[in-house]
This record gives sequence, structure tokens and C-alpha cells, in this order.
Amino acid sequence: MKKEDIQASAETDMTLEGEFARGYVVLTKSKLVIMTSVPDEAEVFQFKGVGSIHDAKVQKEKAWAAKFLPFEEVHKLDVLRSVCGGILYSTAKKDQPDSVPDVQLAAFTNMKVGDVLRVVRLFDVLKEKGELTEEDLKTDDGEEYCPKCGTMYPDKDRKICPKCMDRRSVFLRSLAYFKPYIGKISIMVLCYIATAGLNLVWPYFSGTILYDKILNKDTKFLEFLGNPGMEFVTALGLIVLTMFLTKVTIQAVGILQGVFTAKIVPVVVKEMKTQVFKSMGRLSISFYNKRQTGSLMTRVLSDAERVTGFFIDGLPYLFINLLTIIATAVVMFRMNWRLAILALIFVPILFTVSFRLMPRLWQFYGRRHRAERSMNARLNDNLTGARVVKAFGQQESEMERFDKNNDRVRTAELALVSFDNKFYALYVTFERIASVVVWGLGSYLLLKQPNMHLGILITFTGYVQQLNGPLDFMSYAFRWFTDSMNSSQRMFEIIDAVPEIVEKPDAIRMESIKGQIELKNITFGYEPNKPVLKKLNLNIKAGTMLGIVGRSGAGKSTLVNLISRLYDPQEGEIYLDGTNIKDVAFKDLRKNVAMVSQETYIFMGTVAENIAYANSNATMEDIVNAAVLASAHDFICKMPDGYDTVIGSSGRNLSGGERQRISIARAILANPKILILDEATASVDTETEKAIQASINFLIKDRTTISIAHRLSTLRDADRLVVIDNGEITEEGTHSELVEKKGTYYKLKELQTKALALKGLE
Amino acid sequence: MPKKKKGSVAGAPESGNNFEEFDLEKMEKETEEMLRLRFITKDNSVFERTEGGFVSLKMGEEFYPRIQVYHAFPFTDRDSYISIREADEKAKEIGVIKNLKKDISKESREMLEEQLRLRYFTPTIEKIINIKNEYGFAYFDVLTNHGACRFTIHMGGGSVVNLSDTRLMITDLDGNRFEIPDVTRLTSPELKKLDLFL
Repeated sequence: MKKEDIQASAETDMTLEGEFARGYVVLTKSKLVIMTSVPDEAEVFQFKGVGSIHDAKVQKEKAWAAKFLPFEEVHKLDVLRSVCGGILYSTAKKDQPDSVPDVQLAAFTNMKVGDVLRVVRLFDVLKEKGELTEEDLKTDDGEEYCPKCGTMYPDKDRKICPKCMDRRSVFLRSLAYFKPYIGKISIMVLCYIATAGLNLVWPYFSGTILYDKILNKDTKFLEFLGNPGMEFVTALGLIVLTMFLTKVTIQAVGILQGVFTAKIVPVVVKEMKTQVFKSMGRLSISFYNKRQTGSLMTRVLSDAERVTGFFIDGLPYLFINLLTIIATAVVMFRMNWRLAILALIFVPILFTVSFRLMPRLWQFYGRRHRAERSMNARLNDNLTGARVVKAFGQQESEMERFDKNNDRVRTAELALVSFDNKFYALYVTFERIASVVVWGLGSYLLLKQPNMHLGILITFTGYVQQLNGPLDFMSYAFRWFTDSMNSSQRMFEIIDAVPEIVEKPDAIRMESIKGQIELKNITFGYEPNKPVLKKLNLNIKAGTMLGIVGRSGAGKSTLVNLISRLYDPQEGEIYLDGTNIKDVAFKDLRKNVAMVSQETYIFMGTVAENIAYANSNATMEDIVNAAVLASAHDFICKMPDGYDTVIGSSGRNLSGGERQRISIARAILANPKILILDEATASVDTETEKAIQASINFLIKDRTTISIAHRLSTLRDADRLVVIDNGEITEEGTHSELVEKKGTYYKLKELQTKALALKGLE
Repeated sequence: MPKKKKGSVAGAPESGNNFEEFDLEKMEKETEEMLRLRFITKDNSVFERTEGGFVSLKMGEEFYPRIQVYHAFPFTDRDSYISIREADEKAKEIGVIKNLKKDISKESREMLEEQLRLRYFTPTIEKIINIKNEYGFAYFDVLTNHGACRFTIHMGGGSVVNLSDTRLMITDLDGNRFEIPDVTRLTSPELKKLDLFL
């Protein structure tokens, strides 16, 4: 087999016996080639997100076994999906009992499914047409790599390379949030510097000056003060006053910076929360499907605070404490370098150790976050399902389950604290040792060396004491920094997430639309390679009603999700009045497409606010009119607070039918050109259904309506009906056409009538 | 459409044959059948390997040239309730083997186990070389009973599931599964690496 002969190929990574081994499925113009290798124990199998573009190209020399299958011998190729991957097999010709049965050809893990399915698709084309065009080969299934370092993106929709995204940039980006407050922050920094300076002179006053100059009655000092005749008691008074003023100033400066902190922190926290929330809103539905609500809540609620805490309280102190440490060190060296070395030798050691321990800390914080997150998720789950919990009397077991999560948070917190205590203990131990050593050696020098004075020693030990504060802070700062960066990283993860569905920069504004919809060759699945809709074509004329029929899971709701662009199709395009909906501005699309679905959601707020959800400018008259048309006015008025009744999570409970009618009123008020009714009357009784049906009949006037229903009676007025089965349209036409056809629709209809008749007999 | 067919129970799939049949009697019969498990034993079935590597089943008059084999309890009990299903996409259940070890012959069992092995292929992690946690993903470098593997998981939750207090199931970005049958058997440096997920 020559390289030029290869039309398409896919890598496989398993044997049919269930071992990892490299293999290939190759298509030439006339043959299907299955290549397999012997499992190699030395080989490392890399899955999605691992490895770089460089190893993707490298192929080891191997002993290959190849099986050549001419196209004539292969009737059709198919993939049998399994839990962890799939099996490629050729199928037997139907109705020919003596033809070759289904034959297993190759096995592979989930990572390779997409590639193999592509080969299966191309095989059909090749077998039919004999060659592949550029169009056929065009594919976006491949993996994508970071352009900088070549690492495979773990998530190709979110093009962030974990390698190139380092912590430093997380730090700098977080810092950027404080830029608008630079003035206030500079004042704070000045305060910090003042504090540090004052702290630095304190031991000098209380040691050298007090002992050596005043208590030792050093006349030179009085000369230095400019009044040689002064009494030493007066000098003492002066120095005590100075010391007192120093302390007062330190306190005052402290209060000042506290005031500024209080001014900046809440604003920045709010800003961060807003941005995270905004980013979440921007993201597509699929993002929410992948994550737990609890986890997302933690990010908005507590992460921003953790990030800011460090920057405002921690960072300036860190700066000032470092400054203090350096200044103190310099002073100490100038006073007595031997003592200084002894006192300071441990500082660099401590810092190195701390630095080394940071990744461990990082892990502890990550773990606590996860524990908190799963507790939030459990709580959320439990509160949402409170009715079911009560109904089945499962409070006790829920309590146990919650306890388990709660325990996990406790354990994580304890582990963190105990690790942190070790940190602190390490610092304190070294500090105490240093101070004992300095006292010991200092006293020795005091005895042996004539130029050593008690005052100097006291000043010196004062400085050693002075170091304790900043050093203790440093022990804390390392963990504070880690905590903050850990939270900040999670926050940026959301802010950086790229929505799968984006508005084009030069999106077309479509203020008024006619409502003609066309679907061309739509293929879509929620998970890659598991299509729910398969090459679907559909044309809906403006102002008409289309009814969609099909059994649960056939892809009906998926179809309407695509039209309202909650998801984008993997293949094919959707046109609205001849314009690709991918080009239409979100605002106009959302304004013109409204959905009433089975899943009604009532937001916290009054009835009126809920009805006006999509149109906040609506007048009272509009709201009441909409409610009347949705046959909701009656029950709303009967409530004691009428339209001002607070409903939603904290308010009054509404019945399913009432909720449904409010959501219809919402759609009426939104006044869309395209209306989607997804089982809008599924959860209500017959009488309510009649009422709702009447409102719907009003609602669909002059609009393009797509209605999904199990009850065929709901679709009686549809201009056209389509039957969807297994992701494909199997039948279409008007009610009478379909009945005449005696196909699926007819059978369904008969089935329902018969069953209803039978019910009547009972 | 009848909201609930006679005796139909929530959780049972809606009649799969809605479209083909509307003969009420037949439908009711089918619904009733669906409410009863049909047990497959060595007395009422003949399993055979096919040339193509699949398994066929003969049950009385019925013959299925290819069947699919599912676990009903893939994590908790791999020998009980093995569901035998038709080969097409709808995968209608043919019957259930209540106990794989007792109810069918050894040969049949081996055949079915081969099919199950491919369907539920899950390497067991024997040694953790490294786990790196970066920007919302965790990168695993491990040794499994099927060789060395490097894979990536989402940190967003749900990727690591506790099947019991000591048993973990890890699902990578594509849905490939890896299992740690007993975390207590790991060494303490390995546990430290796994710490994040315990």
C-alpha cells in the first residue's frame, strides 16, 4: 500500500480482545485496510488533553498485521457504540441469509470514535462515487493544539493552554482590578511605609537612647539635643513623649488605612462578582449542562472575596513587611554583623521551605474548594427536591448524606489548618531560637568586649523581636497568596471560557422578520458522535403552523433548540428569511423567537414582572391583556395580591396549569414572529387544556408556529405535520394527507382514538 | 395518545412499537410482556459465537443472528442480571440472565463475558505515577492493568465518582473510564497525589 493510495484513515487504539494496541483503519480507492499491531507493554497510551502536536505526528516503527478487504466484500460499515468506545464492524446484506454475517473489524476507545465514524462516512461516499472530493474530506473533528507550545487543548472550544497560562499572569490579572483605585491605594502604601518607618525607630528609642544615652547619663546626647544644660529627667520626659507620639501615630495611620481598605474591597469584590456572573450569562447552555450548580455558585459567591482579601489586606502588608525585614536587617548588620548573621541566617531558609511547600498548600485549597462545592451541590439538590424528600420521608437519610459532605468540608479544613499550623510552628521555632542565640552570644560579648553596651544589646534584641511580626506574617502570607491565587484561577476559568455559540462581530440586524425558516442538512448531537438529528431538511413557510410528532427521544425538542440557537448544529445550516441564523444578531433572534415549553420557569418576583419578563417596557394594560389572552387573568385576580402576588422560589406556589398560563402570557407579551410550543399543554387537565388551546389559537395568528405535541388533537389546526423518528423526518404532509397515507401518523392517530374509545368503555 | 396504557408503569419505556402496530390487542399483549422479565437459562437458550466475533442466540423458535450483552449493575454486581438485547439501535430486550455463573453453561458464559469485556472496557489503575492539576483540568499519568496511560479529566465535578468508600471511577474528557478498585491498596505517596479527589 502506497502513501498516495490512502484516501482517508483513522487511528484505533484497541484490539478486539480488549487490550490497548495501536491500529489503523485505512481507505484506499478500492479497499478497506485494517492494520493492527501487537500490544506493546512499553507503550504509553495518551488520551485527550495529553501530548502535543509533535507526538501526534511521530509514529514508532512497529510490526503491523494488515487485513485487506476489497469494497465488494464489504456491504456496509457500522460502529457499535459501547460504554468506553466502539467496535467497527461490517454488516451483512439484509434478507440474504447466506451472506457473510456481521464481522468485527476493529475496536477503539472513545477518543477515536469520531475519527472512525468519519472513515465510515467516507467509506459510503467512496463506495458509491469512487472518489472523495475536498468537500467530503473537510472536517473539523480533529484535535486542536496550542500555537505556542503545541500542547493539545483539553477542551477545544475553550482555547486556553494550561501550560502557557501560568500563575503569574493570574496574579497580574487579578491586580488589574485595582487599577481604578490607584490614588487611594497609593495613600494606603504611604501609610504602610510610615508604619514601617515608625516601627523601625521604636527599638532605637526604647533601647539605645533610653538605656545608653539617658539612663547612662551620656552628656553628648544632651549636646546632640542642642541643650547641654538640660536635666536628664527632662530628656527622659522628652523621650517618653516622643515614644508615646510614635505609638499614637502608628495607630492613627492604621485606622486611616483601615478606612481605605473598607472603601475599596467591597467595590472590587462586587466588580469581580459582576464579571463572573456576566461571563456565565454569556456562556452557552452546554456549559451549564457540564457543571454542577453548586460549583458555579461557589465561584460567584466566595471566590471573589478570597481573591480580593489578599490583594487589599495581604499584598500591601507583604510589601511593607518585606521592606521592614530588609531595613531591619540593614540596621542590624550595621550595629553588629556577627549577631546579625546569627539572627538572620534562618530567614532565607524559611522562605525557601515555604516556597517549596506552596504546591502542597495549593492542593489543600483545591481540596477544600471541592469539598465546599459538593456540599453546595448537595444542598442545592436537597432544597430543590424538598417535596420528594418529604413525600418519601427521607429526611434522616438526607441528613446522613449531607453529614457526609459536611464531614468532608471539615476534614479538608482541618487538614488545611493543621498544615498551616506546621508552617506557623516552623517560623515561631526559628524565631525563638534566633532570639535565644542572640541573647546568649550578646551577653557573652557584653562580658568579653569593651565596646559592647547593654543598650545596644537591648536595641538589637528589640530588632530581633521586631522581625517576629513580619516573619509571622510571611508564614501566613504564603498560604494567603495560595488561597487567593487558587480562587482567582477558578474565577478566570469562567471569565476566560469561550461560549460555544457566539454572535458574529458584524451580525446582521433584523428588526422585523417574516418568519420563514429553512433547515438544511442538519446533523446534531449533544455528545460528539452521537447524533440526535441526522441530515434533516425542513422548510417552514412564514405565518404557518407546523406540527411535529414523534415518540420521546426522537429529537423534537432538540430541533426547536436549534432554531432558537441554544445550540449550533454540528453540520448543516439554518436560515431565517434566507439569512443564516449564525449571522443574525442575538438580540433580534431572541426577540423574534419565543418558546413556551413544558418546563415552565417562574422567576422570583411578582406575577406582573414574570409576565413582562421578555419585555420590561410593557405597560399595565399590555400585561393584563396578555394575561386575558392566556386565560390567566381570572386566576390571577382571584389571588389576594392579584398581579402583585410574589411568586417564584420564595412566594406562593402555583399549579402546573397556572404556571403554564403565565408562561403563555409571557410569550404573548414578547410578541415574537416565531413561536415554539414544546408540549405546552402536556401537564394540564383537559379543561385547562381547552382554555390554553384557545389562547394558543389566538397566539398563533400571523406567526410562524412550531408545535410539538403528543396529543394529536392539539395539532389539528396545523398547516403541515412532520413525523420525526430516530432523528429523521419519516413522513410529512397535512393531517388529511397523512391519514390517507396510512403511515405512522395514521397508526398513531388510530391508536389514540381507539385507546380513548376504550377508556370511554371502561 | 393514551396517557398511560393499562398497567404501564413509570420508568418502563413507552411501547417501542407504537409506530409499527396499532392493533390494540397485540399492543396490550406486548405491554404486558414488557412488564415481565423473561429469564434466560441454559434450558431455553443456545448461545453461539458467530464467524464475525459476535454472539448469536436461539430461543425456541426465535433466532437472533447477533445480540448485545449489557450489565444491569455494571459496578455493583457483574454476574447478576445480564440483559440480552437485539442488535439494532433500539436494542429491545430479549431476556435476562439472572445469574451468569449459575444459569447458563460455562461455554456460553465465556462467550458473553468476551462481549462484556469489550463493551465495558475499563482499565484498572495499579500505580499512580503523577497527577497534575492545572487550570480546571487534572492530568493523570498512571499504570493500568492494560499498560501505561496518560489522560485528562475535568475538575468541574463528576469526573471522579466514589463507587464505594474505597472504590473510585474516573472518567476522562472523552468518557473513557479508569477504575481504582481499592484506594487503601495504594502507597502513601500515591494517596497524596490522589488526595484532591478523596
